[in-house]
Amino acid sequence: MLGVALMGFAGFAGLCLAMEKHFNDLLGRKPTGRQLRALKITGWALLLLSLILAVHGRGWALGLVEWIAVLMAGVTLWVFGLPYQPRLLLGAALASLVLGPLLAVLAV
Amino acid sequence: MKEGFRQAMAWLHTWTGLIFGWLLFAIFLTGTLSYFKDEISHWTQPEVQSHPLDPVTSLGLAQRYLETNAGHASTWFIRLPSEREAALSVSWRDPNGGGRRGFTDKELDARTGEAVEARDSRGGEFFYRFHFQLQMPHPWGRWLSTFCAFIMLLGLVTGIITHKKIFKEFFTFRPGKGQRSWLDGHNAIGVLVLPFHLMISYSSLVIFMYMVMPASILASYGDSSGYFNDVFGRDEVPKAVAQTAPLAPLTELYAKVQEQAPGARMGYIQVHNPGDRNARVTFTRASADSVAYQRSAIWTFDGVSGELLRRGAPESAAMTTSFTFVGLHMGNFAGPWLRWLYFAFGVAGTAVIGTGLVMWLGKRQLKHAKSARMPGELRLVEVLNIASMSGLLLGVAAFFWANRLLPATLEGRADWEINGFFLAWGASLLHAMLRSGRRAWGEQLTLGALAFALLPLLNALTSDQGLDHSIAAGDWAMAGFDLTALATGLFLAWAAGKMLRAPKPVAKHAPRAAKTVEAS
Repeated sequence: MLGVALMGFAGFAGLCLAMEKHFNDLLGRKPTGRQLRALKITGWALLLLSLILAVHGRGWALGLVEWIAVLMAGVTLWVFGLPYQPRLLLGAALASLVLGPLLAVLAV
Repeated sequence: MKEGFRQAMAWLHTWTGLIFGWLLFAIFLTGTLSYFKDEISHWTQPEVQSHPLDPVTSLGLAQRYLETNAGHASTWFIRLPSEREAALSVSWRDPNGGGRRGFTDKELDARTGEAVEARDSRGGEFFYRFHFQLQMPHPWGRWLSTFCAFIMLLGLVTGIITHKKIFKEFFTFRPGKGQRSWLDGHNAIGVLVLPFHLMISYSSLVIFMYMVMPASILASYGDSSGYFNDVFGRDEVPKAVAQTAPLAPLTELYAKVQEQAPGARMGYIQVHNPGDRNARVTFTRASADSVAYQRSAIWTFDGVSGELLRRGAPESAAMTTSFTFVGLHMGNFAGPWLRWLYFAFGVAGTAVIGTGLVMWLGKRQLKHAKSARMPGELRLVEVLNIASMSGLLLGVAAFFWANRLLPATLEGRADWEINGFFLAWGASLLHAMLRSGRRAWGEQLTLGALAFALLPLLNALTSDQGLDHSIAAGDWAMAGFDLTALATGLFLAWAAGKMLRAPKPVAKHAPRAAKTVEAS
């Protein structure tokens, strides 16, 4: 479930960066339309993939519940941490992007 | 037209939120504590030692104890120790015996099978009961808390409509900007944890649905106490025929259950007519084993021959749906990390209500920032805000201090712990009335910080289960309580520091001033 959690976290980070305002604030430059679209697609894809992995690993009942739980926890951490530790969270999102799928694949 | 509708919703959100917010705050906080009901009970009864789990041995010990001490009882109940509950609980009903309606319960040491003389305390059960009964006479508390659940659901829906920029501001939180930050925080916690909030308030209504027909729902609580009488007493069990026959070893029946459902954990085990030819033994699977409560996970045996007579009736689809909501609300299925998330989301729900209450007042206070005195109605809200939030925390702390400080021999000891809770809560109301808003907040939060942060020390001094022992022994329920109390204390100290140091309300149009406060 840790892999799923990290993937969900990275997914939400992607969706956040896919918004022009946040992209500007966090990365300090203007995004191109293509970048935003790519971030959006990646973000949603990560969320969907994490859902599939959660249900595959834990069944519908537990999988769904745990997926929603780790997603809520991750995005809350992201939103409330962002004003205080933006660099740390960006780093964590990047690490999650690598570690998440790795852990999830190892668990399968 | 559309704006008119939104304004109406905002109005509804604002006023139902204010009127029911104080009570909802208490319901959410005690409900959040209830996710650690067993762990709290473990802390409040440190005499009960935690041992590695061994269900078969425990069951044998329970049977031996009951045969020796409750041979004439009409019914036995056994609860095996679990990951969360240290005690091996046995209880029995003896129509001719004393106790509450002939009902006696004992907690046994899971290793020796000896009765443990633990201090009298409701422990986590108190917060759990308060969460939906509000210490009011039956059934008024249940109705009121159910009505609050409805208001919460209403608050969520009207809140979503009022908020309007859900997706645009999904990731937005801007701290250090006074009212703006409170609103951001309120919205963000509300929206980001929305699935939990919706599930909790909707499932409360599902539970309420069963209040009218309590039999099935109470079975899912699976806890001891007088409910066994009403709920399970009417089971279809043959009458005792007054012919003695030895009861089959429960461990053998347990093995049969394990054959059918490998690895199943047991919620409780019930024996009707023990020692009689018409003995019946019922095993009920622990609610920790599945998300939805399962009525079908019940095995009934002939207590003499050991023959499996009946399995629980399967659930219909509608039943499974409502049982799923009940299961989701109670979170009995949650293992340690998911339980912590449940706890965190519960805190989030409490925070949504708390920030809402603070904002209601803050917004109106701004209008009177220049006048020397606040209007009476605002002062009333301020006092109630303080007493219902920091005051409630003081009450919770008082409960735990009373648990450790009251002598074990005190008559009505468990009730005095609860009195301590309400006395501290009442005192905080008095204190809030006598002091100005900011001072009252700061002082109560400081006291709360001390009261929670010192709980681990108090535990170490008054029991032999302090952190040094519990961590070494791997008793994480005990250690987790102490560490959580410490963390709560630190958080309250931080909040108290903000209240005591920061200047008078930050003006709405002075973001720069707000920034310097943040920086300092």
